[in-house]
Amino acid sequence: MNRPFTAIVIFTFGASSVARAHPADAGVPIDARRADAPDAPSPPVDALPTFAVVTRRDPPIYPDVPPARRRPVDVSIRVDVDAAGQPSNARVLSPANPPFDDVAEGAALGWAYAPATSNGVATASSLDVTVHLEPTAAATAAAEVITIRDELAPTTATKPPSTGAADFRIDVGQMATAVPRKDGAAGLLQLAPGFLLTNEGGEGHAEQIFLRGFDAREGQDIELRLNGDVVNQVGNLHGNGYADLHFILPELVESVRVVEGPYDPRQGNFAVAGSADYELGLAKRGLFASYETGSFGTSRALLLWGPPGDGPHTFGGVEVYQTSGFGQNRDARRATALGQVEAKLGEHGLWRLTSGAYISDYHSAGVIREDDYDAGRRGFYDTYDFGQGGSVARVFVLGAIDHHHDDITYHHQLSLTGQTMRLREDFTGFLLDQQTSFQQPHPQRGDLIDLESDAITAQASGFMRQTHTWLDRAQHLELGYFARLDRTSGVQYRDEAANDHPYHQDTDLDATLGDVGLYASADLRFTDWLALRGGGRTDLLTYNAIDNCAVQDVSHPSPNNPPGDASCLSQESFGNYREPVQRATTAGTAVLPRGAVLVGPFEHVIGSLAYGEGVRSIDPSYITQDVKTPFASIRSYDAGLEYQASQHGVAMSLELSAFRTHVDKDLIFSESVGRAVLANGTTRTGASLAGRATSRWFDQSASLTVVQSTFDDTGLLIPYVPDVVARTDTVVFGALPYSDLGGKPITGLAGLGVTYVGRRALPYGERSDAVFTLDGSVQATWRRYTVGLKASNLLDNRYRLGEYNYASDFHSQGEPTLTIARQFTAGAPRTVVLQLQVQL
Amino acid sequence: MLGLLLAGTAATACASSTGGQVVRFDVSAAGPADAAGTRAFDNGLGWHVELSKATLHIGAIYMNATVPTSGAQFTNCILPGLYTAEELAGLDVDVLSATPQKFPARGEGTDDEVKTGELWLTSGDINAAADPTLIADVAGVATEGSAARPFTARVTIGANRLIASSDPAHPSAHPICKQRIVSPIAIALAPRDGGQLLVRVDPAAWFANVDFTALTAVTTSPPAFEIPDDNATDAGQNLFSGLRSTGSDNYQFSFE
Repeated sequence: MNRPFTAIVIFTFGASSVARAHPADAGVPIDARRADAPDAPSPPVDALPTFAVVTRRDPPIYPDVPPARRRPVDVSIRVDVDAAGQPSNARVLSPANPPFDDVAEGAALGWAYAPATSNGVATASSLDVTVHLEPTAAATAAAEVITIRDELAPTTATKPPSTGAADFRIDVGQMATAVPRKDGAAGLLQLAPGFLLTNEGGEGHAEQIFLRGFDAREGQDIELRLNGDVVNQVGNLHGNGYADLHFILPELVESVRVVEGPYDPRQGNFAVAGSADYELGLAKRGLFASYETGSFGTSRALLLWGPPGDGPHTFGGVEVYQTSGFGQNRDARRATALGQVEAKLGEHGLWRLTSGAYISDYHSAGVIREDDYDAGRRGFYDTYDFGQGGSVARVFVLGAIDHHHDDITYHHQLSLTGQTMRLREDFTGFLLDQQTSFQQPHPQRGDLIDLESDAITAQASGFMRQTHTWLDRAQHLELGYFARLDRTSGVQYRDEAANDHPYHQDTDLDATLGDVGLYASADLRFTDWLALRGGGRTDLLTYNAIDNCAVQDVSHPSPNNPPGDASCLSQESFGNYREPVQRATTAGTAVLPRGAVLVGPFEHVIGSLAYGEGVRSIDPSYITQDVKTPFASIRSYDAGLEYQASQHGVAMSLELSAFRTHVDKDLIFSESVGRAVLANGTTRTGASLAGRATSRWFDQSASLTVVQSTFDDTGLLIPYVPDVVARTDTVVFGALPYSDLGGKPITGLAGLGVTYVGRRALPYGERSDAVFTLDGSVQATWRRYTVGLKASNLLDNRYRLGEYNYASDFHSQGEPTLTIARQFTAGAPRTVVLQLQVQL
Repeated sequence: MLGLLLAGTAATACASSTGGQVVRFDVSAAGPADAAGTRAFDNGLGWHVELSKATLHIGAIYMNATVPTSGAQFTNCILPGLYTAEELAGLDVDVLSATPQKFPARGEGTDDEVKTGELWLTSGDINAAADPTLIADVAGVATEGSAARPFTARVTIGANRLIASSDPAHPSAHPICKQRIVSPIAIALAPRDGGQLLVRVDPAAWFANVDFTALTAVTTSPPAFEIPDDNATDAGQNLFSGLRSTGSDNYQFSFE
């Protein structure tokens, strides 16, 4: 019998029930059982072959991975067993999943085997075994100084420690793609509780993020990072802090750390509602190609490359995408390239270089008035203004160095980013073009905002973390810095609806913006069950802005040099000449204490209390020479309970959190201005519950957040923010029964995402509709090939993604509509996409 | 902790609102409460006027929560501030009838207290140079002593009402849209859902400064006079000015 024998061994460590479920199968080759079938001829007893079997199984040591990645993992290994029972040539059969693969290979080679026999003679063979790695195994527990959950364990490598129940470390895994996410990488934020994403601006427009009662717009109230590099664009005309995540390929996201609130000294500007830091990685090695095609002329080609032999942080990826879009005026095209190399630097160091480029061009439909839809004047997916849309380009390079020496870890990173954005939006139709006495007589010419915002950004950050021993425990102190310099330019015009010609210049602003922050953070362990984490941060922000269109109105203009229709005037009162520009410089500092107490007296349960102050820098268009910069100051409190355990092969985590956040000067979006404007103080109070369970065949994430957001002076609700958000993501996977094809099973995967958003408060006591959507996918993989179907909005609900109450006039009635009215942006109808993938 | 959670949940469950309310209401217009098909009054120049016909075309009604800044040299046609209620369906109103005449569509807005009312005397683009819409159509007899002058007047607002700017720095000091808007009419009311806005129009105020002496007869047998539809004559201009007068004796807003 020359053909190698094949056997499957399921070995479960620390999950005895799973092992008990398969007692008859353990170590019994499938082929051998088939030989016992009633119709098979019975060979002589001594001629029956026997197969190599495992005779001793030493428990594998669970690898040192971030807490969020700790879950039961199975690795299929094929190992050669010679006639003496010696194992060799272990190789991974299951999809690459470093560093578990290395551990599993080592474990399989360390086990003892009895060789296969043929005609009573020992012979060489191959054996397929499954190595199960369980995070709660004794080997892992022994590595922990404490017996409660690993969040209290000493910090390792460059990962910051948890700040409590509002700190979510999301190991994205199959959630990245198994559940359709039309929002791309931004959609992964929904794996943390409380996130709602909407988009009124089109596929190339950043997602509007709602979190914990904040309308964080497109980044003004949430700090977004990629590998530690801040994505928020300071001084963007559309919104200070605008952060477009479309340049991140979701397939290349390894994990996301979401902190809901300003509780970590490492969080910087814009961390008002919280922060999210995407970590890139690609587990698959080799070449992965994917092509998707489906509804509304949508197609997407994706190539991912992970050099075999390198770790998950070395990869490349390219995406080309286009769609005609649903309804009117929603076509889009984009291309993305993202690559990273990580390698050792000496004996104790690591360097990493990340680069990317992203370009996009798109149209958008904007809003539809409810009364026009009801009257049949406009369709649900129509648009008023076909001029809406935009284009985006972004290129960046990011380099990082880590170095570990004795008890000290150093980290430094430096990046350079160039980005440009054109955005055309029309929220109001024909409402804002006021006739001034200077101008020639004109009708309302149209309110289309046509803005261009460009920026060159240099960032540097780093820290030194040192470990000391005190109270017989390791204590950590970290000192870090953050610096960025932005050179920004923004111009905003109003375009005439009839011909797209700009007729008025709203803004022309150039600015140089600096931000240097320093922080100190301690991770102190007093007992096995008590940790104090936190410190302080201070930021100095500088502004140097020149308004190139500083004079737009003048009293008593010169009759000899009338200003006419020009937007940016060169005269002041009584016609005296002046340059149309005005420069202003100013600076401001913020001191931000942040900290958390974590208490874990009971096994699997940890409580936390966190307090933090945050800051939101002001839009440079609001600064005045030498006037103290009016930062928005944020105070946030969080009390949480966490439960984390692993039983019967299922790793579970549960986080319960209650929070309160106060902002002294909030920003509320103004449709007429096209960006957020200053408002009074606000307070958010709420709670969230989130959980995740993972096993060998499923991955389940669910969350519920309730919050009340009110203005301090009136006690009234803040409009537009959702007070109830629920989300579940479910993925099941495994070999399909009776699917053996050519000796290889077909593995299946199914994913389902469910979103519920309660009726949002709208101005004037109104409420929006609730949103309920189902998104799902199925996949089948055989050998290297995968075919799948993804569907968004499975029920084809005609839902309003965003609803707004404000005045607009789209000339849909005989007389101008000047009072508030309901408008909405349409959610996407059912979208079905066919996937074809190959892993080479 | 659990208490906090419950408190947060309860707080949300008890969440009030963003304040205010969207309202829809009926809108009617009528002549003075004592009008009975005719209207007799003495104007400021000593003429006794008896109207036998008076209609007014109201293109739209707007109400604003703010009062325009006094003393502003120039104001836009659309006022700064917050428009909180509107009636967009036009109606030809018999202002010699005391019976409220309902507009064909309901008004909409919010329950904010309003301080300024506007009547838009147009049936199309407020900025259009020409508009043939008959805004006011009146007929009657004016007498002073033994002189009796049967008259008619038909008011339109187009190029005939345009006021040229004499200041080159302000070519749009008098845009045509301002000629078509009766504003600001001082009011004080708060619309409520299901209520009714009533606008009473007293045409007597239109003739407050109209001197019928200078009218030219258009026919002599029987004698008939016409107030010109332009601003070139005092009578025509004064009638138009009276029509656009915002005094409470001219236009009254009430909400029931």
